[in-house]
Amino acid sequence: MIAFLLRRLALGVMTIWLISVLSFVIIQLPPGDFVDAYIAQLASSGSSVSAEEAQAMRLQYGLGQPFYVQYGKWISRVVVGDFGESMEWRRPVTQVIGDRLWLTLLLSLGALIVTWTLALPIGIYSAVRQYSVADYIFTLVGFIGIAVPNFLMALIIMYFAFKFFGASVGGLFSAEFAMAPWSWAKAWDLAKHLPLPAVILALGGTAQLIRIMRANLLDELRRPYVVTARAKGLSETRVILKYPVRAALNPFASNIAYLFPYLVSGSIIISIVLGLPTVGPLLVKSLVAQDMFLAGTIVLLLGVLTVVGTFISDLVLMWVDPRLRHQMD
Amino acid sequence: MTTRRRLLGYGAAMAAVGAPTAQALAQAVSGQFAQSGLVGALQGPTQANTVPASFKEAPQLAELVKQGKLPPVAQRIPAEPMVLKPLESAGRYGGTWRRAFIGPSDGENGNRINASDKLLFWDYNGNKIVPSVAKGWEMSKDGKTTTLFLRKGMKWADGAPFTADDFVFWFEDLYSNKDIVPTPISDMTPDGKPGRVVKIDETTVQFQFDTPFYLFIDLLAGDTLIGGGQSVRQATSFTYGAYSPAHYLKQFLPKYSSEAEVTKRAKEAGFDTWVRALHVKKDWQLNPALPTIGPWRTVRPINTPTWAMERNPYYWAVDTDGNQLPYIDNIVMTLAEDLEVVNLRAMAGEFDEQERHISLAKLPVILENRERGKYDVHLDLAFNGADTVFLFNMSYKGDPEIAKWIQTTDFRRALSLSIDREQMNETFWLGLGTPGSIAPNESLPQSPGPEWRTKWSTYDPATANKMLDAIGLSKKDRDGYRLRTDNGQRLVIQIQAVNALLPWVQHSEMVSQFWRKVGIYADVKEMERNLNLQRIMGNDHHVAAWQNGGSELLYLFPRHTLPVDPTEPFLGPEICKWYASDGKQGTPPADANLLRALQLFRGAAGQQEDERNKTAQEIWRILVDNQYGIGICGQSPAAQGVRIVGRRLGNIPGRACIAQHCRTPGSSHPETWFYKA
Repeated sequence: MIAFLLRRLALGVMTIWLISVLSFVIIQLPPGDFVDAYIAQLASSGSSVSAEEAQAMRLQYGLGQPFYVQYGKWISRVVVGDFGESMEWRRPVTQVIGDRLWLTLLLSLGALIVTWTLALPIGIYSAVRQYSVADYIFTLVGFIGIAVPNFLMALIIMYFAFKFFGASVGGLFSAEFAMAPWSWAKAWDLAKHLPLPAVILALGGTAQLIRIMRANLLDELRRPYVVTARAKGLSETRVILKYPVRAALNPFASNIAYLFPYLVSGSIIISIVLGLPTVGPLLVKSLVAQDMFLAGTIVLLLGVLTVVGTFISDLVLMWVDPRLRHQMD
Repeated sequence: MTTRRRLLGYGAAMAAVGAPTAQALAQAVSGQFAQSGLVGALQGPTQANTVPASFKEAPQLAELVKQGKLPPVAQRIPAEPMVLKPLESAGRYGGTWRRAFIGPSDGENGNRINASDKLLFWDYNGNKIVPSVAKGWEMSKDGKTTTLFLRKGMKWADGAPFTADDFVFWFEDLYSNKDIVPTPISDMTPDGKPGRVVKIDETTVQFQFDTPFYLFIDLLAGDTLIGGGQSVRQATSFTYGAYSPAHYLKQFLPKYSSEAEVTKRAKEAGFDTWVRALHVKKDWQLNPALPTIGPWRTVRPINTPTWAMERNPYYWAVDTDGNQLPYIDNIVMTLAEDLEVVNLRAMAGEFDEQERHISLAKLPVILENRERGKYDVHLDLAFNGADTVFLFNMSYKGDPEIAKWIQTTDFRRALSLSIDREQMNETFWLGLGTPGSIAPNESLPQSPGPEWRTKWSTYDPATANKMLDAIGLSKKDRDGYRLRTDNGQRLVIQIQAVNALLPWVQHSEMVSQFWRKVGIYADVKEMERNLNLQRIMGNDHHVAAWQNGGSELLYLFPRHTLPVDPTEPFLGPEICKWYASDGKQGTPPADANLLRALQLFRGAAGQQEDERNKTAQEIWRILVDNQYGIGICGQSPAAQGVRIVGRRLGNIPGRACIAQHCRTPGSSHPETWFYKA
């Protein structure tokens, strides 16, 4: 058991290291470097960079050096917790990400809560009342939810939100609070802005989860132990919630691996459409700008979260499923 | 909230039905714009000569004076301030100017608002150089020495005196230090010979050169590295402008303590080297503690979600009534990483003044929402010849057959004649542009004359066909496309385009259709903007689409008109290298006329103004006659010319000069704008 855990841990570290190399390589793959991307970006908005400036920038950021030298410098500092300076934001990478990480987590967690509180009861209901009118309606809505891309849903819901509720155009804060230090009023302002993006983010996942829950539960409901429980005279609610629902939840434990990186990167497209200050747009922009340290750090973060998530989901599975434990021993 | 509902409705509707309807809509409304009154008269504040007898200040500053935190206004303003006569009237103090910016690379957004910290500037109509930081200037007869006279008693935003020493500090300790500025700039090295900055007395500075440099005054006033002040090109962290706050920046330089000491402090602040630390510390967008002299100073840096500024209590300009400028207290720019979001919020009335990042294509929707968003729309027309230029790679080598045709003058002329510019104007410029060549507006002193606006730039496909037949491209395939002369295959010309300032990909698609009609099979390659530039630098492109903004003053911004700048070498990277290295690298142009244009251009810096303008006219005639760049349509509001202005603002010009050298909206002096209520 301990040996197994140690093996997984060592593998995890190796994986993370590989991810760091790969992410660095991939970021460098497009032709040119940060300065080239920078010149192109400024040129597109009508500004310019002179040849003298370009040369000075390259020297300053050490961009002329070979790839492995740049990587070596970066990773040796990452080990001690220094992620370098974002070339585009001209601030330490940790600060740039830190600014947005909490809002990102808040948004994703909000979406997750919405997903689970909607999907589980609906999934259970659809399975238990299979082929009822409500099941058909949920199925229809669910399929639409799965089929419609997130960003389109965002546009449509934004339109209706304006039409009926007058909710604001994008952003997580009203203009007057964007600058203000944290206060109850600002938190309330955030609370007013959060539900809309959280719900939009949640919808696709909800639809999917309803389908999975329904299918899992339908499998379980036909098992002999359910018949036994009923025969013993347990109340219907108890029969369903205590046994088949618990069994049907098992596959979700293995999903924890994907849940962790989702918390950070799940909201990329929604954030771009709605103009939210989360980590998602930061990642996209840093990749376009070839801002290596920032992009590398975010990709590394996502990699670490996936590895940690996998590790935790292994532990949870072993805990809930005795058969797995037996295999270990 | 109806505002947003309606405008989203439009957005969704337009997206759903796609481009043809958008085009039809554009054509339907284009007729209105001409009579709409949206294009006003060119206006702006002017400089007055009489200094008011007494000075007044903003209430918030008066309060600080009362508390003893600030000296009285008379001590903060120089004895010879810049006196601005506001466009309409003296304004009231107060208010926060809400605006959008799109990220840390959008530094120009704030630079241009603070552009009066330039040494010299242009007046509101963009054709006369006027004093700014320097109250006057003098050039020696031989053109080798330029003397600037500073304002006596002028101060930095922290109250320290602003003197000639700040220029000498910039020159000796920053510019001449190879660690900070590795390469000398061409603005300071005419004919490759480095110039000097010398202090004459506290308020007199001299720039000395070894060769005649009559262009230098224009460079000081233009959007150039030397003409900067603190608010030019800061986005790259490299100040080249000719002064810097010595009293503040000395602490970051090894010269004034030791290399070990400044390095240690840099590491403590989280920077790799003292050079990195210095570049951040002397950047007004990043460091709120940096003393500046512009009308507003940063309180929240550009690399946060809100770039905020407050008034400079020591700003050295007053209105004709003696009120210290600026009128507006604060500027708050909110980060919107997507241009669509900027435009949407502008239409919802969330910005008080915004011309940057507003898209011409959205004009119909912007106009629809004027009442709900409580704003006016002004269309400012540019002076440059073309918002869309198709530039030939004159040093292309990849395919000898293609290179041969690109080098053939009549081939380029024929392609230009085959384009229906009127149709493109209606489709993409809503009829607001002026179709024609790359030559600038004929009112400018460097214009070669109105006939050069139309030379080889009319719609004449019959002549185009004849010319193509005559140069040896008479054989065609079954589909009617002309064949290569080497292997009998179809001749395919690639147009490389990005969607940046304008949707150049769509423009290119339409042009490729026109070219196909005269038998030249053109293929449009849409590029990501970085890849686009990479391929151009790599000498890989046949033709690239771009614009020539800034070329209205040819000598100040030639890079999109002549092959002189290797950072954006549309007209041939090898030629750009050759020109920039003075013949040490690259290859000279094979085309004799282009070579002559480059020689004329190089010689012009040492010419006096009249002669220099004549040279520019000669260069323009060569460029238009040879069609190295095919101009489509220009003098439009496409680049920062759609101006959304909240109705509460006063002293707003009906039409502003939008041009590179005018630092739009800088030459309209935003410090004279105010909130009426």
